[in-house]
Amino acid sequence: MNTAFQLFKYLTPESFLAETAFFVLIAGLFKSTASRRTMLLSLTLLGGLASIAWIALHPENIVICHGMAVIDPLTRFIKIAIVGLSLIACVYAAASNVREHLAEYLALILFSTIGMMLLVSAEDLLMIFIGLEMTSIPLYLLTGYLKRSAASAEAALKYFLFGSVAAALALAGFGFKVAAVPFHLWAPDVYEGAPTPSAALIASGSKVAGFLILAKFLTLGFATGTGSAVWDGLQPGWLPLLAVIAAASVVVGNLAALSQSNVKRILAYSAIAQSGYMLLGLLATGVNGLTAVLFYVIVYALTTLGAFGVVGIVEQRRGGAQLHHFEGLHRSAPGLALCMGVFMISLAGIPPLAGFFGKFYLFTGALGSVSSQNGNLGLLWILIVAVVFNAVSLYYYLIVLKHIFVVPSTEAATSAPQPRSAAGFCIGLLAVAILVLGLYPPLLLSPLQRAIHGATEAAKVAAQPL
Amino acid sequence: MSHDYLLLTLFLAIALIFPVIPLVMAWAWARLFSPAKPGHDKQAIYECGLESKGPAHIQFRAQYYLYALVFLVFDVETVFLLPFAAMGFVKISPASFLAILVFLFLLLEGLVWAWAKGILEWK
Repeated sequence: MNTAFQLFKYLTPESFLAETAFFVLIAGLFKSTASRRTMLLSLTLLGGLASIAWIALHPENIVICHGMAVIDPLTRFIKIAIVGLSLIACVYAAASNVREHLAEYLALILFSTIGMMLLVSAEDLLMIFIGLEMTSIPLYLLTGYLKRSAASAEAALKYFLFGSVAAALALAGFGFKVAAVPFHLWAPDVYEGAPTPSAALIASGSKVAGFLILAKFLTLGFATGTGSAVWDGLQPGWLPLLAVIAAASVVVGNLAALSQSNVKRILAYSAIAQSGYMLLGLLATGVNGLTAVLFYVIVYALTTLGAFGVVGIVEQRRGGAQLHHFEGLHRSAPGLALCMGVFMISLAGIPPLAGFFGKFYLFTGALGSVSSQNGNLGLLWILIVAVVFNAVSLYYYLIVLKHIFVVPSTEAATSAPQPRSAAGFCIGLLAVAILVLGLYPPLLLSPLQRAIHGATEAAKVAAQPL
Repeated sequence: MSHDYLLLTLFLAIALIFPVIPLVMAWAWARLFSPAKPGHDKQAIYECGLESKGPAHIQFRAQYYLYALVFLVFDVETVFLLPFAAMGFVKISPASFLAILVFLFLLLEGLVWAWAKGILEWK
């Protein structure tokens, strides 16, 4: 039995974030001065970094109450990633158009992050549900944060209604979290209507947590009853279901993105399609598949976070995120344009960027995992779908780049103010990270493999009778 | 095995019969002994026992919901504080004491926050 003190100790990283959130709330009450936003942001970053440091410095494997919360190398790794992603979203928020009640906004991001961390740790259906709700409820509020914007309110309501219904059904709940077809309908409206930092958080941290817990749920909870998604040997189970969801996500996401004129909506449909690719890794059902999924979801989160950062800055300076707002960006802000180029090309999966290697691991992992009855590659059919539609996706990613680099700006080149330094710095950092991870993937892959290996070892130790 | 389910079925039957009996009795009583005598006072809208004033279909200010939320917080607080108070002077471990203090502190901070934000002022 764990005593209350021990529980407090195990959940220290989460409590750090909670305490930071409460400090930020109180600090936000003081009358606004010029440096208040900076002060709130640095307080948040301090708390987040303390949380990351604690996780990194306490490498112990703990199982609380038979799996209510599990702390092993893998969950620690993912938690660090999630807190990092949330902190970048906080930086965006401080530079964004969320002018009033910034402290509450930052606190909500932190609360949602706590939910994601609990979700990642949970190996118990009740805790998974609580984690999902703790993640989602702040996200609903963050989506509807622009009180005077009708689009924001509409997005929040759609997100809330979809989320609360989906939460009642296990697989639908996860499908909703990762925005896979047919649970994707909320995504475009939410990404478009929500304040950009909220959309960035929904697309990055929430997705990382969602995929880890989906993988855990399916592999641990349904180790039997997998069935088979092989073309000539379909067997009922969750694999064929997942294969259909993956294929549908890839097809619908990529086709719908073609006709969009708003970059946020393009990113939303691209997110749906990318979920489809990531589900391929889950189809592989093995350590390789899990590694590929987690590698790709982290790379994708970094990329999409960067893309949303650029969109946020453009939106603020030019008043919208339609394609024509991006025209001539390479003249007015060459650095931003270059970063957006890196993000888009990485999302499309072109070497030497990290997105390519992520997709490569996913596809090869799924390809080699199962063979069919006559010895052929079992999952070839779904890979063909994925690769063909990945080629389709190149079109809309390049359309964005065409507007940035080729189409001349119709408006007079306004001497726009430089982006707020912190947000610009983060975007640059993300672009460099994606380039470096593309040139040398083991930088992320080896720690991830070590973490997964450590987690399986820890599970073996825990399963042994004392 | 079947024995367990038999108990459950019995339980279900009793659970159904138990509320139905008073309903049937009330209905029978009304049919047999109390003739309908509608009147002005009898048909009036029930409002805490006082005489109702004005129409019932009026608009409420949405600001009410903030009061309701703050009230709810302290309502729930009581539920958690009662066992604490009952246990408190008998035997309580330092960790539980700390936990309840954290809980109280959080509620207090919520109140301070709401107050400072001007939520408690009726505009």
